[in-house]
Amino acid sequence: MTAPFAVVTPGSALPGATAPATPKNLPHTGGEPNPSAEALRARFGGAVERVDVVWGETTVYVQGNRVLEIVRWLHDDPTQQYDYLSDVTAVEQRDLDQPLEVVWHLRSLPFRRFLRLKVRIPKGGRLEVDSVWPVYKGADWLEREAYDMFGINLRGHPDLRRILMWESFKEGYPLRKDFPLRGRFSRSEQLRQALDQDPEARYSMEELSVADAFADLPPDMRERLATGEKTGE
Amino acid sequence: MGLSRHPSLADTQTLPARATAERQVVSYDPKSQEGWVTTRLDFLVNWGRANSLWPMPFGTACCAIEFMATAASHYDLARFGMERMSFSPRQADVLICAGRVPFKLAPIIRRIWQQMPQPKWCISMGACASSGGMFDNYAVVQGIDTIIPVDVYVPGCPPRPEGLLYGIRMLQEKVKNERGADKRVRDEMEPDPNSKLYIPPDMIDELSEPFGNSVHQTRSAP
Ligand code: SF4
Repeated sequence: MTAPFAVVTPGSALPGATAPATPKNLPHTGGEPNPSAEALRARFGGAVERVDVVWGETTVYVQGNRVLEIVRWLHDDPTQQYDYLSDVTAVEQRDLDQPLEVVWHLRSLPFRRFLRLKVRIPKGGRLEVDSVWPVYKGADWLEREAYDMFGINLRGHPDLRRILMWESFKEGYPLRKDFPLRGRFSRSEQLRQALDQDPEARYSMEELSVADAFADLPPDMRERLATGEKTGE
Repeated sequence: MGLSRHPSLADTQTLPARATAERQVVSYDPKSQEGWVTTRLDFLVNWGRANSLWPMPFGTACCAIEFMATAASHYDLARFGMERMSFSPRQADVLICAGRVPFKLAPIIRRIWQQMPQPKWCISMGACASSGGMFDNYAVVQGIDTIIPVDVYVPGCPPRPEGLLYGIRMLQEKVKNERGADKRVRDEMEPDPNSKLYIPPDMIDELSEPFGNSVHQTRSAP
């Protein structure tokens, strides 16, 4: 008897292809690592725990207490110039004994590089790691989201409070594996607490005002705006 | 003066296919509290109201896209006197909630409703606004009727523009049959001062019980 049909795998139609292939023919694991990983090893030695390459993207596991130092170096060093922070988030594994991972996605626009930093925080204690807000101001809301959804306390964050759920939300951290899908309270109790919140309590008109934002702009932009240049918006 | 001599009655006799509202007006009972003038006034006022409902669009998700399609030229909401979108609740007649409402928005939609002056109506557009839809989770209100009173529920995910128009026509029918003498419909509902809810908590729990596949996903604490 012959097989009723042949299994089709992505890329198998390419001439001479043996294994599934991506458009750039990247291997699943063990491709060319980002050169920054080697630079990190050379510079921080033991702080780099592991380097993985998956589908051409490099993940560097580092020690939790060195992360601010490492991110600052990646941002400032002229051979790295990771000037853009795409995301700060966290991962909880289905295996409840596995540590939680906090993830930073960094991008270097001048070198066209992408680097993923990970820190593993063991469960059972206070989940705490340094905030990268002193380096990237854009980390502010991303870190608030990681705090809101996973309960990770980011040391040194200027304003760590919930961002997606309302501030008086009492049920815990929704993206943790032990969080029940419908929440911990009954529907009427959830609704009562939600109606109890005061949506305007936190934001004063002063806080929302943009008048004070000028001093926070980068110096070159301040100069350009001071000469009366239009920003195009 | 007998009613039968009035021209409008003569009209109805010759044109039996008149709107229900008008036929009701004609069945005049001299002993009733409502005078002939009031019922005619009701008809006039309701006619005006029903044909110039100003919507307050409360679009929170994908249904709002379909609502915009309804308002755009092809389906043309303006045919029903609704071209004037009121983005301020104080100048609006009908709140159209298009999309899911998370708990964080619950006090906001409640406040918008309270800011709207009487007479006011509410259309709950789509499965999410009416029942929470597929979002049976910790973040989404299981039907906006637990927060504010709703007149018309439009089913669908999302409802097609025809569906919404049908709901709007139903609401117009409801408006046309209102009586000015019936003060109950115009009473502002006051929520319970402690729980801030309109309907009893156990009824909310019962109404938002999971169904279908989702009964297998249990809650960890009562
Ligand atoms: S009912 Fe469907 S289309 Fe409407 S908001 Fe919900 S998910 Fe979106």
